[in-house]
Amino acid sequence: MLTAAFATALLSSPALADEKQAEECVNTKVWDSYGDGWGVRTMTKTTLAPGKTRNYLVTLYAGNEYRIQACGDESVTNLDVLLYDTEGNLLSRDEATDREPMFSYTPSSTATYYVVLYLRELKERKDGAGVAMAVTYK
Amino acid sequence: MTRWIALMSLLAACSGGSTEKPKPEPEVVVEPVPETPEITPEDLKNSAENTALVPSPIETQRALEAAGIDTQLATLIPAHDFDLDNGDLEQAAVRSGVYLADMMLTVKSAEKDELIKRLEAVRKGMNQLKGGSDIDAILVDYQESLKTDAIGRDELLKEFDELSGAVIPELEFNGQERVVPLIEAGSWLEGANLMARAVKQKGKPDAADGLLKQPQVVDYFLKYVKEEGAEKAPVQVAEKLEESLNTLKGLAEKKEPLTEADIDSVIKVTSDVLALL
Repeated sequence: MLTAAFATALLSSPALADEKQAEECVNTKVWDSYGDGWGVRTMTKTTLAPGKTRNYLVTLYAGNEYRIQACGDESVTNLDVLLYDTEGNLLSRDEATDREPMFSYTPSSTATYYVVLYLRELKERKDGAGVAMAVTYK
Repeated sequence: MTRWIALMSLLAACSGGSTEKPKPEPEVVVEPVPETPEITPEDLKNSAENTALVPSPIETQRALEAAGIDTQLATLIPAHDFDLDNGDLEQAAVRSGVYLADMMLTVKSAEKDELIKRLEAVRKGMNQLKGGSDIDAILVDYQESLKTDAIGRDELLKEFDELSGAVIPELEFNGQERVVPLIEAGSWLEGANLMARAVKQKGKPDAADGLLKQPQVVDYFLKYVKEEGAEKAPVQVAEKLEESLNTLKGLAEKKEPLTEADIDSVIKVTSDVLALL
């Protein structure tokens, strides 16, 4: 049991380092905009395999403006973030080819939505990359 | 930088993390992927995580103002008469969520002693829930900083924002999975109670439609009360919590606009739960 845990820890070390890198990038963005009135809903991080997605259910209030932003670690060349409604309709997405996607969204009604992180491209061969996501509001 | 960043780094390190980067492998051609992921509504539903599901108390305040109700929720917070020595998991978690919400809503306006008292209540809750010594040390540090005016209220709000939105959801609470959702439930119930009272005070029940109808949020809480909590929670609290959440779910799914009677119902069921803590 302990050996398995130790092995897992060894294997996951680079992944955690990559997540930390992505997290630091998102943290900087979040706290830089905090002074401009952008409050924090959530900040989270994970490891994502190339071509894969991770999705988060979010409740967004009508009348509030939301900023959805993410960062990939330095191995990422294209990370996308997309917003879907519960019927699976794509409502908004970032269009840039980079590792720091971001877009703003002001919902017309209070509802739940899906924020999807999509790892599209890496500059090197890896099983996964560290990514971090934040939802802020104003 | 907030104090939590140091704690989060420590948590990562304790999980076996290392700052040493892996050696890069030779560059290879990466298979192209579609511009938009091939994902169905079922995929979305089945694989979604709830980390970002529940709105924060401050976010709720802003939505209330956007709906044309300028009442400050902080002014409606009652003097809770909770039994802080009751360390039962469900009650300690929900109670901590309530205090966390109160603390965030009043951080800029509360008297120093009042804020220190709320911090102490959150600290006690975190210890009862086995939140760990690091979070305890930081909460003590806040109290000391407040006593000596070493921390400003804006800075404190920033710290609480991170505590609520990033730190608590990542804490493991000694493997007790239900703790985070129950803390969130406490904050959300307190927010719903205050919001409903603000709506009633202003006589604008129609404004509540865009604020209180959050069926997925209620479902998320119900899952933890029903499936995993039924046998563990004190019967009275579990039953009242489930009953209240079911009423709120019914109102959240209502097609017609909420009425004054509906708002009264929200106030009653949320007050009933809070009274048991």
